[in-house]
Amino acid sequence: MADKLEVQQGTLALMILTTLEVLGPLHGYGVARRIEETSKGRLTLNYGTLYPALLKLEQEGCIKAEWRQSENNRRAKYYTLTALGRKQLARETRDWHRTADLIAAFLAPRREGEAP
Amino acid sequence: MRHVRAWLARLAGVFTGHRRDAELRDELQAHLDMETAEYVRRGLSPNEARRRAMLASGGLTIAAEAVRAQRGVPWLESAAADLRHALKSLRHSPAFTAVVVITLALGIGANTAIFSVVRGVLLKPLPNRDGDRLLYLRQSIDGPAGEDIAFSVPEIRDFRAGVPALGGIAEFSPWSLTVQGDQYSPTARMQVGLVTGNFFDVMGLHPILGRLTRPSDDGPGVPPVMVLTEQMWRSRFRGDPNIVGKQVRLDDGSVTVIGVVQAAPYFPSTADALLNMVVSPHHLSATMVLGRTHRMTEMVGRLAPGATLEQARAEVATTYARMQHDYTQSYDPGSHFRVAVLPFKDAIGERARLTLWLLMAAAAFVMIISTANVVNLTLMRGVRREQELVVRAALGAGVLRLRRLLLVENLVLAALGAATGVLIAIAGVRLLTMFAARFSPRAGEIHVDTVVLAFTLALTVSVALLLSFVASLPKEGTFASWISAGTRRTGSLNRQRLQRGLVVAQIAVSVVLLAGAGLLTRTMMQLSEVDTGLKTEQVLSMQVQLLPITKIAKGGDIRAADAAAKEGYDRMKQEALAIPGVVSVGVGSLMPLEASEIQLDVKVEGKSLAVGEAMPRADYRTADPDYFRAAGIPLVEGRTFAATDRAGAGRVVVINQTLARRLFPHEDPIGKRIAWTGDVLRFTPISGDWRTVVGVVGNTQDGGLDAQPRGAMFMPFAQELAMGNTVVIRADSNVSALAAQATAIARRIAPATPIEHVMTVAQIKDESVSPRRLNAVLITSFGAMAVIIAAVGIAGVLAFSVSARTNEIGIRMSLGADSARVQRMILGEGGVLLAAGLALGVGGGFAAAGVMRGLLFGVAPHDPATFVGVAALMALIGVVACWVPALRAARIDPAIAMRAT
Repeated sequence: MADKLEVQQGTLALMILTTLEVLGPLHGYGVARRIEETSKGRLTLNYGTLYPALLKLEQEGCIKAEWRQSENNRRAKYYTLTALGRKQLARETRDWHRTADLIAAFLAPRREGEAP
Repeated sequence: MRHVRAWLARLAGVFTGHRRDAELRDELQAHLDMETAEYVRRGLSPNEARRRAMLASGGLTIAAEAVRAQRGVPWLESAAADLRHALKSLRHSPAFTAVVVITLALGIGANTAIFSVVRGVLLKPLPNRDGDRLLYLRQSIDGPAGEDIAFSVPEIRDFRAGVPALGGIAEFSPWSLTVQGDQYSPTARMQVGLVTGNFFDVMGLHPILGRLTRPSDDGPGVPPVMVLTEQMWRSRFRGDPNIVGKQVRLDDGSVTVIGVVQAAPYFPSTADALLNMVVSPHHLSATMVLGRTHRMTEMVGRLAPGATLEQARAEVATTYARMQHDYTQSYDPGSHFRVAVLPFKDAIGERARLTLWLLMAAAAFVMIISTANVVNLTLMRGVRREQELVVRAALGAGVLRLRRLLLVENLVLAALGAATGVLIAIAGVRLLTMFAARFSPRAGEIHVDTVVLAFTLALTVSVALLLSFVASLPKEGTFASWISAGTRRTGSLNRQRLQRGLVVAQIAVSVVLLAGAGLLTRTMMQLSEVDTGLKTEQVLSMQVQLLPITKIAKGGDIRAADAAAKEGYDRMKQEALAIPGVVSVGVGSLMPLEASEIQLDVKVEGKSLAVGEAMPRADYRTADPDYFRAAGIPLVEGRTFAATDRAGAGRVVVINQTLARRLFPHEDPIGKRIAWTGDVLRFTPISGDWRTVVGVVGNTQDGGLDAQPRGAMFMPFAQELAMGNTVVIRADSNVSALAAQATAIARRIAPATPIEHVMTVAQIKDESVSPRRLNAVLITSFGAMAVIIAAVGIAGVLAFSVSARTNEIGIRMSLGADSARVQRMILGEGGVLLAAGLALGVGGGFAAAGVMRGLLFGVAPHDPATFVGVAALMALIGVVACWVPALRAARIDPAIAMRAT
């Protein structure tokens, strides 16, 4: 439990969008499962974090929602990536890589200095 | 774009959110079910699976709350809740709400209305392009009517050459014309300005139709043209869009309308239309163009780029000094000729400034009193509400939340007051516009516009903020003790001190307002007691100008027209005399009590001016033998005119007492010879021949009841051109009933001539004081409002103090204090406040009265009678206001009072 992370603001949207792009239309539970699996259990998502993020993306027009029957014949709300969402995903992915590179570059010399 | 979209969705969520709660519950439930199913699939018991799923969810209610927060706009929703709460709470105390709303409405209404006038007349930038670079030049001399004597064309020419700081100097010569009836409207008099071609360029005005005058419209031999003001175009010409190019018939000839100019103020006289100089041949004649003392043209200038007002003033002073040096005979030293250079906007606002700022101050005082009253009411209500606030605090509302609740409530109150106030203001502004029109040509610019409403809004919000922060809430740290203390705290010492201070301030400010109102009312009383000099008020006069000034100004032989006009007046006299009840009918150049616009220098045979002595001047008036009797002007010495003083007979004059004293201080004027003199005579049809004084008549208050006495010289009507235009009718009683008959006679004899100013002497008198009266009425109503509000204030605070002290009073009474003693105690409490307020108010009133010196007549600013009266009135009202709660205190039954605790 000790190494579980709180999900960071801003990264959750990116995770949701990626999940929907990879797996196609999915309900909230599916999204949560996928994120937890991908993080290999290092991330937990409670409802109070997940659903406001989904609603925000919906309000922004990145995803749209509709009620459907699930595979085990259960009614669930499915989220689908929109064209705008795809564009947003591409942009955020690019931004994220840039930021990650930048941070890595900043942190790298220190680590080198510490190593010996 | 994405964010805008998200915000719109959230805003929509504020209104539709509650409908989607069920859906959200289903979605969360579905999630929980799927997760439970998953745990079951992994082999957990259904109960354990459910428990684990619940644990992982983090709580469905919290999640739903988080989603709701994302769905709508939380602060907006809680504000809406506050608003609903505020409305509910105000509905529960309708009396409080009504009193506060009415009090604020009076204060805000008065301020909004007066501010809209101040803004329209004094503050708003002129509609002219770069209006702040526009200047007005004014030439003045000593003596009555010497404040603005205008300029002559040669003087203006010298300024054009000598003042480079003025990039353009335009001429504006006030004139009046008769416009003949046409398809638009009947015949009417029009105030116009004769202007140079550069006038509109200097003034910075643009046409809304057609074109304006330009330099090619100057000089002789060009077609006469007319530019209509927007107002005249809309009213008389019914806004005809095809007006450009139309001909308008004047007394004599016609002019072409070339355009309509944007609405703008003209000064010093209003103008319905502007024409080029060629309309009046007189204005282009050698006498006008060359006569240095022929002053009938106003001057406006525009600062050259980069030039400053100081530069312009310095250059004007230098040029003017050189002119006085070069033409000594045109500037007699005794009269102190001087020129002032004023920003056009200041010149226009000059007459209105003192009155309007005084009104603004009075309105601000009303606002102070209203606000003080509302603060007091809020404080008292706050005590009663303390319990409610304590309960809210106990339930978890923080100080900020409570403060916000109060703020929303006060905003609602202030907004209700402001809305009512704005309605009052809109109704009042129409009245105030008529009032302001007497002081300022900018009255048309008075509107409740966005700036005025912004002012009102600022006022409203400040009141609401003030009200929200006077209510005492505990500091965050002491919250718990406040809650545990509960409602066992009535009226802290600080609060009482504040309330008392507010009452003292209210009384003081009321006294100041009352003092102002008292002084203005005394001024009105003094004015109404001024002796007009006329023996009767049963006099009706009307103006019918049978020989138009334009015709005289044109020059040439006008003897036939003059004779025809005189015959016309004769017929009017005969017919008017036949009206039953008419005692006497006279004809003269002016109405009784009307000041002459023609003032000329006078000399006495065999006398010369002492060094440094001002040139004597007199009003030019004419009168026929019956004029004095008809107008009720008393004969003091000698005789008035006789039928034998006809054209060709020896020239005679009647002078008034002021002129007699000025010209013949220690002699009998009868039989002496005097004459008009001065360069300017050459440009007028007035003769400079010697005339024998045959009579002296009493002074009359020409030009207003508060005017300085003016010297007047009457010529026999028959010996002068019929420039006169007034028929004066005296009846034995109820002369105003004759107006219709008199007008009918004039219309029959002169159908094409406008009939103006059909007025009785009483009306003329009234007219001359009406701006002052309106001012006095306004200030007095502000004063009355203030006193009523203050009286309610003092009574309210005392009543509150009594109810807070019921217990204490009960103890006192059970210990032997009788009801008279209790009553005295409460009266004493109020009396101290009253005395302090009175003392402060009288002091403030003394200071304020000095400022309004210029608006007073016949009463000193520190008039003791007024101040004693005002203080006594306030004291009386204050004592009555204290009495009510004192009586209530005296009626307290100690048994009940003590049991109640």
